[in-house]
Amino acid sequence: MSESTEPKVRQHQAAGDGTAVQPLLELRDLDTDIALRRGTVHALDGVSLEVMPGETLGVVGESGSGKTMTALSIMGLLPQGGQVTGGQILFEGRDLRSLPADEVRRTRGVRMGMVFQDPLTSLNPTMRIGYQVAEPLRVHEGVGKAEARERAVEILRRVGMPRPDRIVDNYPHELSGGMRQRVAIAMALVCSPRLLIADEPTTALDVTTQRQILELIDDLREEFGMAVILVTHDLGVIAGRADRVAVMYAGRVVETAATAELFRSPRHRYTEALMEALPETAVREAGKEARLYSIPGLPPDLSRPLTGCRFAPRCRHVTDECRSTDVALSGGEHQFACLHPVSGTPTGPVTLPAPVVREPAPVEAAAPVRVESTATPVLSVQNLVKNYAAHGRGLLRRNAGQVSAVADVSFEVAPGETFGLVGESGCGKSTVGRLAVGLERPSAGQILLDGTDLAGLAGRERRRMHRQVQLMFQDSYAAMNPRMRVDAILAEPLEIQKVGDGAARRARITSLLDQVGLSRRVLERYPHEFSGGQLQRIGLARSLALQPRLIVGDEPVSALDVSIQAQVLNLMRDLQRELGLAYVFISHDLSVVDYMADRIGVMYLGKLVEVGPAREVVRAARHPYTQALIDAVPSITPSATAARDGVTIQGELPSALNPPTGCRFRTRCPLAQEICETEPPLAGDRHQVACHFPLRPEADAVSAQTGTAA
Amino acid sequence: MTTLSEAGRPGAAPDPADAAEAPVRGLWRQGFVVFCENRLALVGLGLFILLAGLCFLGPLFYHTDQVHTDLAAVHLAPGEQGHPLGTDGVGYDQLGRLMLGGQTSIIVGLAAGILATAVGTIWGAVAGFVGGWADTAMMRVVDAMMSIPSLFLFMLLAAIVTPSVPMLIVIIGAFAWLGPARLVRGEALTLRSREYVQAMRGMGGTGGRAVRRHIVPNAIGTVIVNATFQVADAILYVAYLSFLGLGVPPPAANWGGMLSDGLADTYSGHWWLLYPPGIAIILIVLAFNFIGDGLRDAFEVRLRRR
Amino acid sequence: MVRYLITRLGQALVVVVLVTVIAFLILHLLPGGAARATLGKEATLDQLAAFNHEMGYDRPWIQQYLMYVQRLLHGDLGYSYQLNQSVVEAITQRLPKTMVLSLLSTLLAIVLAIPLGVIQAVRRNRWPDYTITSLSLLAYATPIFFMGLMMIILFSQVWPILPPEAPQGFTVGEVLADPAGLVLPTITLAIVTIAVYSRYVRSTMVDNLNENYVRTARSKGLSERRVVLRHTLRNGLFPVITLLGMYLPALFSGALVVESLFNFPGMGQLFWQAALKRDFPILLGVTVIISIATVVGALVADLLYAAVDPRVRLRGSSS
Repeated sequence: MSESTEPKVRQHQAAGDGTAVQPLLELRDLDTDIALRRGTVHALDGVSLEVMPGETLGVVGESGSGKTMTALSIMGLLPQGGQVTGGQILFEGRDLRSLPADEVRRTRGVRMGMVFQDPLTSLNPTMRIGYQVAEPLRVHEGVGKAEARERAVEILRRVGMPRPDRIVDNYPHELSGGMRQRVAIAMALVCSPRLLIADEPTTALDVTTQRQILELIDDLREEFGMAVILVTHDLGVIAGRADRVAVMYAGRVVETAATAELFRSPRHRYTEALMEALPETAVREAGKEARLYSIPGLPPDLSRPLTGCRFAPRCRHVTDECRSTDVALSGGEHQFACLHPVSGTPTGPVTLPAPVVREPAPVEAAAPVRVESTATPVLSVQNLVKNYAAHGRGLLRRNAGQVSAVADVSFEVAPGETFGLVGESGCGKSTVGRLAVGLERPSAGQILLDGTDLAGLAGRERRRMHRQVQLMFQDSYAAMNPRMRVDAILAEPLEIQKVGDGAARRARITSLLDQVGLSRRVLERYPHEFSGGQLQRIGLARSLALQPRLIVGDEPVSALDVSIQAQVLNLMRDLQRELGLAYVFISHDLSVVDYMADRIGVMYLGKLVEVGPAREVVRAARHPYTQALIDAVPSITPSATAARDGVTIQGELPSALNPPTGCRFRTRCPLAQEICETEPPLAGDRHQVACHFPLRPEADAVSAQTGTAA
Repeated sequence: MTTLSEAGRPGAAPDPADAAEAPVRGLWRQGFVVFCENRLALVGLGLFILLAGLCFLGPLFYHTDQVHTDLAAVHLAPGEQGHPLGTDGVGYDQLGRLMLGGQTSIIVGLAAGILATAVGTIWGAVAGFVGGWADTAMMRVVDAMMSIPSLFLFMLLAAIVTPSVPMLIVIIGAFAWLGPARLVRGEALTLRSREYVQAMRGMGGTGGRAVRRHIVPNAIGTVIVNATFQVADAILYVAYLSFLGLGVPPPAANWGGMLSDGLADTYSGHWWLLYPPGIAIILIVLAFNFIGDGLRDAFEVRLRRR
Repeated sequence: MVRYLITRLGQALVVVVLVTVIAFLILHLLPGGAARATLGKEATLDQLAAFNHEMGYDRPWIQQYLMYVQRLLHGDLGYSYQLNQSVVEAITQRLPKTMVLSLLSTLLAIVLAIPLGVIQAVRRNRWPDYTITSLSLLAYATPIFFMGLMMIILFSQVWPILPPEAPQGFTVGEVLADPAGLVLPTITLAIVTIAVYSRYVRSTMVDNLNENYVRTARSKGLSERRVVLRHTLRNGLFPVITLLGMYLPALFSGALVVESLFNFPGMGQLFWQAALKRDFPILLGVTVIISIATVVGALVADLLYAAVDPRVRLRGSSS
């Protein structure tokens, strides 16, 4: 690597005329260390990147890959103990590391802007919006109070805030998550920076809001002529938005290329594996019954000295050379650090898979354990209602109204079936799950387990029925007593239900561990000693202990990285096949539900708006909300995102305290008419929809049943 | 929580092999290790052992008459006539008195601190578990008693009954439980809503099991840590009561009372009557505070995820 | 907000009622009851019976309690035969002086504790933090009277610049007319308070400095000074307001010791002397008054907090 501080000049291909354009930002061999109580984590090791003016660079990686540390190193915002220990950060030709602190601060405030992941905590809770947004102007440009306010209103208008002249006087907690993220963007842009760094800007938001925010960043980039670094774990988000992508793994950039090129022909084995691990890929290329490719093992511990390719221990194509040789990034436009890259020239012409929307009616593959609807459903939910009283605290509790969390929801789950429940946060899907496992009592309606109404059972009988249905949590760590060893955790359900004696329980626990692929050594350990994926396995083992017929998974893989997520999803499927389990799979992630579920129910504001076979719901949605949801899901097929012209919903989710009458979606629906003020029934045969104006008729029932594709 | 924030956990997850190979240690062992890594906590423990040893074992080797006054040997300076710390205004050997007084201070402090913690834990736990109106009523009682400044309350009671060592324990113990009660109630409320308690309920477990297996084991650390601070406070209260003339009457002694007696000698230059008991109180209170801090680390750190 | 106000007022009222119940119970738990307590050890059985009948102490407890409350509401806290003065009169003479002492030392504590806590938080785990933390712990572990004694020895004996005794004036004005005498008691009472407050400020500041919004503020290129003073300090200080209320009982306990040591003619000294002489009407009267003062103080602090912190202020109105 050259030691000169002369900025590297890259031929800007897109310009076509061969003029030399200087990169706006160039990282050269950046090393960042973070000193912790026990040892030092080498978070970044020789990271080199460049960002051209006006382009969007996507930085993608799993947790611990160093993508956020890269962003924070550029901004000089490393956490306590963090320090850039080597390399250069050239911004507009000047090395930020050698500039005086004041100068760096000014550069950070005026020429750069940053948007963080969590909009709920990223704004100062006790400062008015207007003041926070205008603060950089007042500090860096000496703008007066009145003008600052005006410019705050102006920038808020440009990021699409409704009534910005009122919002400036509000406090952050008075706004929704999406609105707060707009405020954060406005704050980052108020000085018209040349570079915007967005660190997981939409991860904490719902998909429909995510789409709005990503589009906003795109629009603003053009309007302001700035460059954007989009840091994310989500390949789909990158695919739709970035010009170029850098893939990071274990503190290094392992591959960088133009977006289309990278997704068409990834060269590094890690990038390849990551894409194969996506449920979306599996569904598109091999159908729903295909197993996901799951990367074995975990990323390396960065506080230890590492040699060779860092992905080698998990790689399918590893050779001895990989373990001993440090591989540098190759040259050229498509750079990768791999000794055994994926073949560079795609065999045959480049065939981008067809966009997934509006595929012809799919083949209904016969699942091994698929009992026809004549059998008694494991779970039958009928007219389920759950209201929470919303009241003030203290002595004078006046009822301030009711939060309608679940409103008249009915569905059935057949033995061995996976029923997916999707919807955005606050739609009531988790409440349905908690009601189904008996953690909460319904306000009205029936829950039948194997045809038995739970409400009719007294304490002990009721507890016995609980064996049939178990809950799997999103955060397995929180769902395990930190002071209990794994053996005690796994024995607990058996003890509660008084199954077998000590020896029998031990035998059962051993077989459970085998089923979820964990070694017996884990028994003596405590939950905090495990990684997320391992914990999810232990959680699954515990759910299985009582041999339930149904497992309700509440966002069971949402906290996991893609590669780990694939491991858990595969495991869940294997167990379903072996044990004939039924799942209620609750998730906000449509692509995961699409992969896992046989049938899908879509919820909006406490209502089930659409129920049907998974493929039909995802590929031939009948409810406008479902369509909007599908359209908002980012896909790694760049053209798929571009080609979508479907329904975009605007505005904010109404409060469940006083939900709209009639169809609850009508306040945001592009198709809403007067009749929508009356409630549409959930109508249809196999593919039901609750809409007065369904987008399309139900797919031909005969063809679907005989299993022939059009 | 959709992804773990990278900034929050910069270290990558541990190697699975690593987790499997690391030696298996029990939670108490791990906590012990953490406690031992805390130098101040060890200093505190050492101080406590030293002071307790001096007070309880010292008199076995260093015999003094702490019952009969010796008016022939009052206000002897340290070193004179074989009194290493001199004598006080009625001829008691100051070092011997320091040992005797320390016994009272330490015994009352420990017993009252433990009593207060026990009463408070039960009260707070019941309020937290039963909830509803019982909780409201019980906590209002705590609020009411807390708004009576504790020293006023202790003095009021000390004025009613003649203080003896057991009586001091009861008086302080009976009113110092308010803090622990609040703490334990809060703890019970949070623990009750933890996901692992819900998970257990989902398996069909009862409330009793939740308390036995999940809530008590998780709250115990907080309670133990708090108990050490309670002991420190109780020792101070004994000193205050004695200083204000409501401690155990002579010839019994405690450090606060010795200080109070030494007060008259502020201007006479008999410094050995003031500083030894004063410093002893400071040291023992510091010792318990250090131990408490160390225990808090020990109970928390071992559960922190890497 | 209105609902919060009403709830909080109701709570305070319940607590005050409970305080009177407790005081009433203590009076009746006395060996020989209130009569023995009032008339002293030499009183004959006949005298006791007569007293009990006159005061209504032979009636059912509920009735007695209601009578007690009724007298309380009329400002009648009883009569001290030892001082030959009504309890209310004795208290009204002393209370303002205690308030002056408490207020002065609290002001001093706040003025010193906030910068100390901020320095600790900003330089945490470095030598300024360690030094201040050690000193706070030391102050906390030192009995107040020992601290006061050190002060007296240091500033009126070794280096005689201040009087060892507090001003003996009868009124607040007379007390304030001798500021030199107030210095040592005020500082002594303030030192422990400083220790407690600065530790609290440190911890709220450390919490706030770890918040995401601080990172956002830094990303705007603000100076560290501005980040700490404009963004973090505001949010860190809001909870300190409630601490002022919560700390009142400890403050009054401290005042009791300080007044006794420096011979300051406030309520604490009154209480101390009454305790030595077993003057129960005074003891109970002072206890009730000081408790009510505590409840009211905590109430004011909570309401103030709710009024200034927008997170609390606006929560009530929106839901």
